[in-house]
Amino acid sequence: MGELKVVGKKVERVDVRSKVTGGALYAADVQLAGMLYGKIVRCYDHAHARVTSLDLSEAVKCKGVIKVLGPKDVTQKEYNASVLDMMVSADMRGVLGDIDDQSIFTDHVKHYGDAIAAVIATSEEAAERAAEKIKATYEELPVYLTADDAKQPDALQFRPEKPGNLAFQLPEMAFPNNAYAWGEVDDSFAEADIIVEDSFYVSKQKQCQMEPGSYIALYDDQKRLNCWTSTQMPKLVQKKLANLYELPMTRVKIHTTVIGGGFGARLGMVLEPETCALAMAVPGRPVKLLSPREEDWLTSPSRHPGKYWMKMGFKKDGTPVACDAKFENYKGAYYVDASGTAFTTGAWLGGMYKFDSLRYRGESYYTNQSICGAFRGYGNPQTNFVMEQMVDRGCAQLGADPIEWRKKWHKTIGDDGWCIGVPYNSCALDECLDRAAEAISWTEKRVKYKNQTGVKRRGIGVAVMNHTSGAMPMLLEHTVCDVLLHQDATATINLACSDMGQGSHTTLRQVAAETLDFPYDDIHIATGDTDAAGFDIGAHASRTLYVGGGAVKQACEDVRRQLFDRAALELEEDASNLYMEDKIIHVKGASNKSISVQTIADQGVNNFMNPETGELIGQPGQIQGYASFFPPHNAPPFGATIAEVEVDTETGEVKVIELVNAHDVGRAIHPGVVEGQLDGGAQQGLGMALTEETYFDEKGICLNNSFTDYKMFGPSDMPKMTNILVENPDPTGPFGAKGVGEAGIVPPVGATANAIFNAIGVQILEAPITPEKILKALEEKNNA
Amino acid sequence: MKKHAITLTVNGEERDLIVPSNRTLLDALRDDLGYTDTKYGCGTGECGACTVLVDGKTSINGCLTLAATMDGKSITTAAGLARDGNLHPVQQAFIDNDAIQCGFCTPGMVLKAVSILDENPNPTEEEIRHGLEGSICRCTGYTKIVDAVQDASNRLSGVGE
Amino acid sequence: MTSRVMRDFDLLLPESVAQAITLLATHKDKAAVLAGGTDLLVALKFDYDIDNVVSLALVPGLDVLEFDSERGLAIGAKVTIADLLKSSDVKEYYPALWQSAKVFATPQLRNTATVIGNILRASPAGDCSLAIYALGGILTLENATGRREVDLDDFWISYGVTARKDDELTISLQVPAPATGQKSAFRRMTRVTEDLSKLNAAVCLQMDGDECTGARVAMGCVGPTLIRLPKVENMLAGSVVTPELLQEISDTVASEINPIDDIRSSAEYRLKVAGVLVKRVIKLALNEGNDQ
Repeated sequence: MGELKVVGKKVERVDVRSKVTGGALYAADVQLAGMLYGKIVRCYDHAHARVTSLDLSEAVKCKGVIKVLGPKDVTQKEYNASVLDMMVSADMRGVLGDIDDQSIFTDHVKHYGDAIAAVIATSEEAAERAAEKIKATYEELPVYLTADDAKQPDALQFRPEKPGNLAFQLPEMAFPNNAYAWGEVDDSFAEADIIVEDSFYVSKQKQCQMEPGSYIALYDDQKRLNCWTSTQMPKLVQKKLANLYELPMTRVKIHTTVIGGGFGARLGMVLEPETCALAMAVPGRPVKLLSPREEDWLTSPSRHPGKYWMKMGFKKDGTPVACDAKFENYKGAYYVDASGTAFTTGAWLGGMYKFDSLRYRGESYYTNQSICGAFRGYGNPQTNFVMEQMVDRGCAQLGADPIEWRKKWHKTIGDDGWCIGVPYNSCALDECLDRAAEAISWTEKRVKYKNQTGVKRRGIGVAVMNHTSGAMPMLLEHTVCDVLLHQDATATINLACSDMGQGSHTTLRQVAAETLDFPYDDIHIATGDTDAAGFDIGAHASRTLYVGGGAVKQACEDVRRQLFDRAALELEEDASNLYMEDKIIHVKGASNKSISVQTIADQGVNNFMNPETGELIGQPGQIQGYASFFPPHNAPPFGATIAEVEVDTETGEVKVIELVNAHDVGRAIHPGVVEGQLDGGAQQGLGMALTEETYFDEKGICLNNSFTDYKMFGPSDMPKMTNILVENPDPTGPFGAKGVGEAGIVPPVGATANAIFNAIGVQILEAPITPEKILKALEEKNNA
Repeated sequence: MKKHAITLTVNGEERDLIVPSNRTLLDALRDDLGYTDTKYGCGTGECGACTVLVDGKTSINGCLTLAATMDGKSITTAAGLARDGNLHPVQQAFIDNDAIQCGFCTPGMVLKAVSILDENPNPTEEEIRHGLEGSICRCTGYTKIVDAVQDASNRLSGVGE
Repeated sequence: MTSRVMRDFDLLLPESVAQAITLLATHKDKAAVLAGGTDLLVALKFDYDIDNVVSLALVPGLDVLEFDSERGLAIGAKVTIADLLKSSDVKEYYPALWQSAKVFATPQLRNTATVIGNILRASPAGDCSLAIYALGGILTLENATGRREVDLDDFWISYGVTARKDDELTISLQVPAPATGQKSAFRRMTRVTEDLSKLNAAVCLQMDGDECTGARVAMGCVGPTLIRLPKVENMLAGSVVTPELLQEISDTVASEINPIDDIRSSAEYRLKVAGVLVKRVIKLALNEGNDQ
């Protein structure tokens, strides 16, 4: 690889000018002629109930109302908003156990805010006023909020196909004894000198993307179903909607708008089915559905909360002999991603340390909470909170330094990654740990913070993580990319990958520019139109740069090959004897023999002919590049965070002083983009550790589905941040890049928990670690 | 419901409109006048996506302001910050410091930054962070936004030029 | 549950105090007064329903913020939290009030929300209200029959309920002038920096050298309204504030409060920590520090 011209540079991002001037159009900003407005009527009286009557009659009479829809007025097909089943092989579908258990409007309310009816009206206000007139009566049902509640033998069954309200467990057919495992765990524990074991709770964190759910749907004059949405996965949502409404894919079009943040909240379908149901009821009229923040909270998926038990055994010399774990998550009202997270939560655990044996069991239980699905990290923050605290407890008992222990025992090149049988092919975690330790003066501070007695006590803690770039081989990773070379020798890259703000359109453009050896400004990334773009499984699993970038690179190489082939014909030279500089292709060693890319492109399009001889000038045909790209691996990103905190032992309050995040990113295609992912991930990781949780009362009414009541770290709460980008090119990534979209959220969770442990000598087993819990733990410690 | 005839000067342009009593300034800007750069993020004054400036400097939440009480007022939205095709120094600093990701908070955030610097042209980092409270960003962890405001402060006061 | 669209109401825009009072006399409990609106307009997106909203936007004379060394601080009905922060008199003479204003909500809300609106909200968590409670204050209310004054000590009746009658307009608030040796401070605890208080405390101490001759100690988030802590006030009055006294005070606070569990904290925690907070706010007042 020669010197890189565009990759690695902080070029101006493609989308920032329109965003900073406010010109960028998000779904709510799109205005169509004849727009109608929808309002979904939801049950806010109960979390579990049967609708015993539904009176729509008063609503119909309201001013501006076009239509009122009850459960029987829309498709009766059930669906599953998740798209996991579309990303796996036919064999694997059985393993996932996906069922279609959602309906547009329900007569069996399963969570606070479940949808029971809708109004279509000429204005948002008219729809709101009419929705208030819809009267429902309910028969209350028992409310199940936790796995333990839902497991009770006499509990009402959510679905006949899922006895015991066990939506999913790792299935026997792929996971003997329902466990992701290697070795003989029970035997291994017998060899352990030190065993640590505890039961944790991981919280129901919410993505809180800034753009609340906003959709427009139109069933148009060509009988095509159009949906404007800020989805992370346009091609899969297109197919899902085609299935739900029994339409060919040619009659479903997703218009992806600018996305105001995703983090998993726009994975799969969210309110696209409902919005389309409204549009189908009023053919020819666009219907807009805008969720208030509180509604978005309840209707888009959250992180999976639940009970997470773990046991680890070590030999005196530190050897990790066994790890046993079980995660019972509180799935919420519908199946959605019941299988995915239940598996991956254990996969991240399995991918981290060289235990002689390991066993992980993952179970998802239906509950009367709002749904859970994908959230940045997809199980990894949960595992980090538990696994990394357990490791530090082990280290404390072993008298081992937590960094030295991790350096010795983390998995590395050649070890099985998160998928057993797929070994890691790159790993620079040692360098991450060394550089982070140096940056924060780890050794000095670990000594200094021993035996503190004051009211305010400092602590320093570390955590590490492994993740993935795309989810090969669990998911069928695939992205299609077309490159159109225009006659002026600029290129449009067409693919379906969404940029939800992480900067992927910028980095994909850099990959294209570098591969074509064109200036950055000569490239345009075209997305957002499912009519035009080929297949892609969406922006998730830290895959866009790795897989999308791989597709872009391959398609651009195709263009380059065609250019060189044509130049070879024109110059009467072998293509291998040519090189390109400033978009001119030269013959090696013969500087006077050359042809410009512009000439080739122009001749290809215009098909010039010599009027005297009738002979063609140049090679005809517009050059297009194409790739249907399947990545060979999953280029594992690794990372370490060291956190320093100060705990007020009189109040339990925690101040985060500093975070150092050192990540093995393969190659930073755009360092500013990478840093942004780590900064933003850290804000969410700190929230997971310290403040963020969704609360329900005993009746299942959500108590904090708003920014007033759910608190995230704000500008004054964020600590000093240091990001260290360790560039150790991955052999399979485009220019060596790994995916970093999720990595940033993960290790701040465990590092913060461990820093608190270091400061006060007790571990808090329930996330988030609030002052209330710290004070209680300190009291118990003092009383013990 | 009573309707009110009002005149707003938005980004220097005078606009007459008739609004019902319950119309927020946010909805009037977005739906009646087409200034969709002002965003709805929460509707309860927590997130700051709807921030606009009154008289070019005072930041308020458009979602918690009745349009009819703003008759005769001058409002600035993010779309009105550029001059003669040149971005405002705060906008340029946001771009140069990679302070923009999903961009949904960005219009409100740059207006907020303008108001911070209007009140205090040379704020400390702590003052910038204090001033940014009430404008939620879920993408950046605020790090690069704080850098951008600091940078804009330097640009506006001529430091480093 | 909230709506993106506010409920229907008629917005009334009187142009004088007299007109405003006439409107309140006409509509009584069918009217709400709008000054800053940061509480009212949120309520109107939830379940609150009212036929008329009387805006003070066009009413002149209500934006007075004036300090006088004899009479103290006069705060008009339209004075915002941000106005307090711009006043060097507030910063110098009423540190508790200035400190509470500094951390109050967000910059946008401080630019809009009024001091008197915060008092009328009668929230048990109000920050500026709590500081003023410690400093002492007299409200002037006016209706068609005339004006009356109400001491803040008698103003909050229960959660969200005040002594203001439906037809009364709150004109202004008078905070007494500080005597020589008056020291005050405000301190609060929140989950993150920008949040409603989960526990807040304010003190106003009259010091004569090392001796405290009188004290007003107020706490929020520990009952249905903001409350004063008479036992603590008595312990302070006539005493030299020693570390031992502070510890005694800290141990006493729990016996004077009656907190509940809510989304922001628990009763148990509040009982445990309230004393620590009071101890710290007294220290802050005596150090005349402005730091939070």
